[in-house]
Amino acid sequence: MHLDQEQVQRLMHGEPVADPHSVRQHLASCTECRERLDAAGRDEAEVFALLRQLDHRPPATDAAAVASQARPIRPAWGQWAAGILLLAGAAGVAYAVPGSPLRDWVRSVAAWIGGSERPPAPAPGQTPGPALAGIAAVPGPEFVITFKSPESGGHARVSLSDGAEVSVRGPLGAASYTSDANRLVIDNQGSGATFEIEIPRTAARVEIRVAGKRIFLKDRARVVTNAAEEIGGHYLLPLSP
Amino acid sequence: MATASFHDQFVALFERQFQKLYRYLDRLSGEPELAADVAQEAFIRLYRRGSLPDAPEAWLISVAMNLFRNVKSSRSRRRWLLTPARSEGVLGDPPPSPEQAAIAGEARGKVRAALDRLPERERRLLLLGAEGYSYRDIAAALELNEASIGTLLARARRAFRECYEDPSDAP
Repeated sequence: MHLDQEQVQRLMHGEPVADPHSVRQHLASCTECRERLDAAGRDEAEVFALLRQLDHRPPATDAAAVASQARPIRPAWGQWAAGILLLAGAAGVAYAVPGSPLRDWVRSVAAWIGGSERPPAPAPGQTPGPALAGIAAVPGPEFVITFKSPESGGHARVSLSDGAEVSVRGPLGAASYTSDANRLVIDNQGSGATFEIEIPRTAARVEIRVAGKRIFLKDRARVVTNAAEEIGGHYLLPLSP
Repeated sequence: MATASFHDQFVALFERQFQKLYRYLDRLSGEPELAADVAQEAFIRLYRRGSLPDAPEAWLISVAMNLFRNVKSSRSRRRWLLTPARSEGVLGDPPPSPEQAAIAGEARGKVRAALDRLPERERRLLLLGAEGYSYRDIAAALELNEASIGTLLARARRAFRECYEDPSDAP
């Protein structure tokens, strides 16, 4: 029995073959297969020589230059100043809103500075956001994001991005994540958390399912979901049963 | 923040893989500056990731191809990483004589035409194979069965030859 084409190619490319001992033994004794292997090598060398005609000189760059591009850029002082002004403006607006909890908080802080009482703990809605954890994966042509458990109060906030990866983020400890080329699984059992999902606009087809039931589909430019698109271009999908 | 060991792994991977990835994208697109930008952006994203994926070569190819599609569809190349000096490096081959340029241009055009006539999958297979990517990486990047990559590579080479030798005969 002669070597098949897959075996010839694998031998030529130094890739593993099944039963390498008998393959080598056959090759040593079979002139026809040796000639096929030689011919395949010559053919490949000729094709590769043709392809080299397309080449341009590679760019003169190195790992250090690329790594430095990857580091976050520190904003210029003007941007810092603009950010501070923006925050101050936002705080002013928040203070001016009738019934704003910020007024009470400012008053209590002022009183504490005056020595009369300790500052109150921020209300639950004012606590800093919890630390996030998540996963990112390059989606295949048909990619499925699965939440394993329907959870009352849980949500997925979905937005389309210009990036290349599907990413899912949730509060630290709210879920565990696994992924491969075709799917990303979120084990969210017992968590009523909100998960932030980003899907590349260029992804061909991405589905989001809860316990097997589809709640969102992006099929090229088309989005199918019962949730309405919200301000900011995202969709808030309930993960409830 | 990336750890020192990740940085070292990144540098080693960059040195092994950058030119391969660049050359693959350059041959695929015929646009050396675009290929350089996309290859660099793929490595930037890898560095920002902070750890190496299980199959870094296949990951880089997949990310680069997504970026490449993105750029090709929108043509909005939001980041031009190459400085003018580097840009000369990409396109700065020594100028040939007009006669040499004409001959080389004709030969290159024939190869490009043959490549462009291949179906997308065969073209990518052929070019990844030409860069010496492992069957495992090719299978992962193109979502093919690793057990048949050798046969598919041979078919892609044959189809390319047919297009090259007889431009009127489509694969």
